Amino acid sequence: MAGCQPPAEAGRGRSDLKVYRHSLDQGPTTLDPVQGANVYANFVIVNAYDTLYSYKYLARPYELKPNLAAGFPEISPDGLVYRFRLKPGVRFVDDPCFPGGRGREVVAEDLIYSIKRHFDPRNQPQGAWLWQGRIAGLEEWKAAGSDYDQPVSGLEALDDHTLEVRLLQPYPQLVATFAQGFSALVPREAVEKYGKGLGVRPVGSGPFRLISYDTARVVMERNPHYRQEPVDLAAEGYDPATQAFSGVEAIQGRSPPFVDRLEFNFINEPSASWSSFTKGDEIQLTVLPVEQVDRVLASKHPVTLRPEYASKYHLYAGLEAGFIFTAFNMDFPEFGYNEDPERERRNKALRCAIIKGYDWQGRNDSWYNGLGEIFPGIIVPASPEFDPTLSRASITRDVAGARRLLAENGWTAENLPELVYGTTTGTTERLFFEQFRAWMHAIGYPREKVVQKTYATFGDISRAWKRNQLPLVAKGWGLDYPDAENTLQLFYGPNGSPGSNDANWENAEFDRLYREAAVMLPSEERTRLYREMNRLVVDDCVAITGLSRTRIYLWHKDVIAIPDREILGGFWLKYVDLVPDAAAPAPATGT
Amino acid sequence: MELLQYSLRKLLGGIPLVIGVTLVSFALMVYFGPDQTYLLLGKNPTPEQILEVRQQLGYDQPFITRYLGFLREIVTLDFGAASTGEPVMDLLAKTMPVSLILILPGFILGHVVGLMMALAAAYWRGRWLDKLIMAIAVVGMSISFLIVIIGFQILLSSSDGLDLFPVRGWNASTFADYLTYVTVPTLATMFVAVGYETRFYRSILVEEMSRDHVRTARAFGLPESRIFVRNILKNCLIPIITRIMFSIPQVAIGGALLIESYFGIPGVGKATYEAIVTGDQPVLKAVVSLTAILFVLVVILTDILYRAVDPRVTLK
Repeated sequence: MAGCQPPAEAGRGRSDLKVYRHSLDQGPTTLDPVQGANVYANFVIVNAYDTLYSYKYLARPYELKPNLAAGFPEISPDGLVYRFRLKPGVRFVDDPCFPGGRGREVVAEDLIYSIKRHFDPRNQPQGAWLWQGRIAGLEEWKAAGSDYDQPVSGLEALDDHTLEVRLLQPYPQLVATFAQGFSALVPREAVEKYGKGLGVRPVGSGPFRLISYDTARVVMERNPHYRQEPVDLAAEGYDPATQAFSGVEAIQGRSPPFVDRLEFNFINEPSASWSSFTKGDEIQLTVLPVEQVDRVLASKHPVTLRPEYASKYHLYAGLEAGFIFTAFNMDFPEFGYNEDPERERRNKALRCAIIKGYDWQGRNDSWYNGLGEIFPGIIVPASPEFDPTLSRASITRDVAGARRLLAENGWTAENLPELVYGTTTGTTERLFFEQFRAWMHAIGYPREKVVQKTYATFGDISRAWKRNQLPLVAKGWGLDYPDAENTLQLFYGPNGSPGSNDANWENAEFDRLYREAAVMLPSEERTRLYREMNRLVVDDCVAITGLSRTRIYLWHKDVIAIPDREILGGFWLKYVDLVPDAAAPAPATGT
Repeated sequence: MELLQYSLRKLLGGIPLVIGVTLVSFALMVYFGPDQTYLLLGKNPTPEQILEVRQQLGYDQPFITRYLGFLREIVTLDFGAASTGEPVMDLLAKTMPVSLILILPGFILGHVVGLMMALAAAYWRGRWLDKLIMAIAVVGMSISFLIVIIGFQILLSSSDGLDLFPVRGWNASTFADYLTYVTVPTLATMFVAVGYETRFYRSILVEEMSRDHVRTARAFGLPESRIFVRNILKNCLIPIITRIMFSIPQVAIGGALLIESYFGIPGVGKATYEAIVTGDQPVLKAVVSLTAILFVLVVILTDILYRAVDPRVTLK
């Protein structure tokens, strides 16, 4: 029976350990930073590995801060050369991959090596898009066979603690890319020893080290060699007025990590998550399941708990740094570009009518408890460049207006083109579709002309998007960094299929503004350009957009934290602590 | 000697079965399964990167080349790495024992309790006890397994219920821990299994009880217990063995997806399910081929057991 026992169970009953049990609705598919594309992987990666930069624990909107970097980079006047300095004396965790099993110091070459891995096809890398066409020499290095012993002209370690990055053109988001899990510093020794096995055995220099990883959970323990860096709450963006309730003042001046053991429990079933959370001695944080909202909340605006829950749990309602939207695929002549200019004009009217018929408030009420934030355009409220002045006409349902627009442009029930709505299989997706069909029927679309096309998996529908096979692309997007460029690039012409511009929209003015803004540092002028681009997307009726969902986090009052899962996911977990009375929470039975 | 010859003959005869099963399964994976390419791409891929991923996954190879590679993997029992990077055989070695000791108690108890209830129902056929047992069996079969799991979880584990067991998790480091974590999943499994097993066993027992030789034995005045053991149960062993034996591959490799998901147990069922939805072919290939091989072994073992319980059976 002992053979059926995960190694994490060793010392499980020790009551002197501080254990924090987090929950996520899915698990990661790998822990190798080279494939750490989703938030679930990043929750673990940014805690096992170091990145040069991270985000301030408590500042919202999100603000970058140095992590492994000693400070922000020195940037040449032309914006093409960045010089980063690494903190000295930082060590990788002890691991058999190192001589004598003792983790060596983290050096600048490790970052160069880690970036090179994204340009080695053997790794099936997912982060190359951050640096391709940006950092000099990477494509050439890849074309020459991805030989790790060969240098990359744009990446040079001036000494162990200084890295110089040379760019092909100014790239203001470069520093933010060095906060992402993709840029985590991986030691070459570990890759050479474990190969693909690195995906289940991270060897980093982060605040925690892995104990076990399976389909049900990840268990990590405090990295005993993690650098001593006392918390300065003011520098972390602490706002006593809104955050004091969490007790985070208790970590002021102390060096993280504060818990001995960090557990990620992967619970896809809301009922199981809720039962485990309310049990009291299992998971300590959960996202409030939609089914429990009416039972648990006293009010939604503002979000407050009923007294019986408020006495036991903390609450935080956080707006996602991302959005859901549906783009029209302009390569479909039925809706988008057409050789006949007159038809193309009528197509635009058709798209605008569909947008008018879309009921964002209905969707918000049906699926997100009315707690999401509906906004026009593609710059999400979590972006610093969000435009609160943009007209809300594109998100206000106007059935009469939609019908009028269709009639004025010669659209009738007979000549309306078939509207294919692609989804993955599932009851929820079916309901999404039926709701959409009802809205379209209300503006005059015959029911039989709004059809659902289902795909077995997300990979299959992604293939359909990338192969330009669906006229409507309904998806969600989470910000990789808090900069509107990250969503504007979704509509940049050269990014057309199979790139990120699933709409295959090409607008010369938008593309010109994008290129102009892409090399600018944050400024009022850049924000103005972003907002102008945003207006062009709305004016051309190229997408039904958008809504940012609100996640309601509940956590036990013995946990000192302000939770989050946006941008990186998990970057704040090293700051989690338990209140002194609860510092020995290990239950007789745990998850 | 006869046994060894028979086993070897059957093993050789099982090779076409394994080839057939793996060929059909592999064709389904390749032509109808999820395409992992698009899960492994970055956010703004180029056509060249799509080709690179396809090459790395071997999707650009002809079907026959890929299938021959699959057969080589079966022979060497080396299926490469799962998408997590973990060697597939390590993954299975880690998850299969967990599933086995998770499912085994419910499996055994389901059959034992089902058989006992079936005996009672068959013995008192048409009486109120028979009707009661059959009603219970129908209820067990009618309620969705999902509802049963959630119901047991709330009733026995949650703070809204009796709060006697953990809601989620797995710990088998001691027998006491094991009992703590396995009890609720076992009860949920049993609740559903008993219905099916009771109905199945009742039907074969009733059929056997109606046979002439049983009536004759009763006419001779033999004790009921002897009639039951020697004339009824012994003759029922063939279908009972068949049912139990052919459930073994499912227990050993299939795991129990719902149980593992809801109770947070790292078994092979969840690993297999995730491999299916993500198109993780190395894991799927291993599961398919090991299941096929296990079936061949089960067929051989079942035939041997037939012979053991009924000497009229010959191993040819």
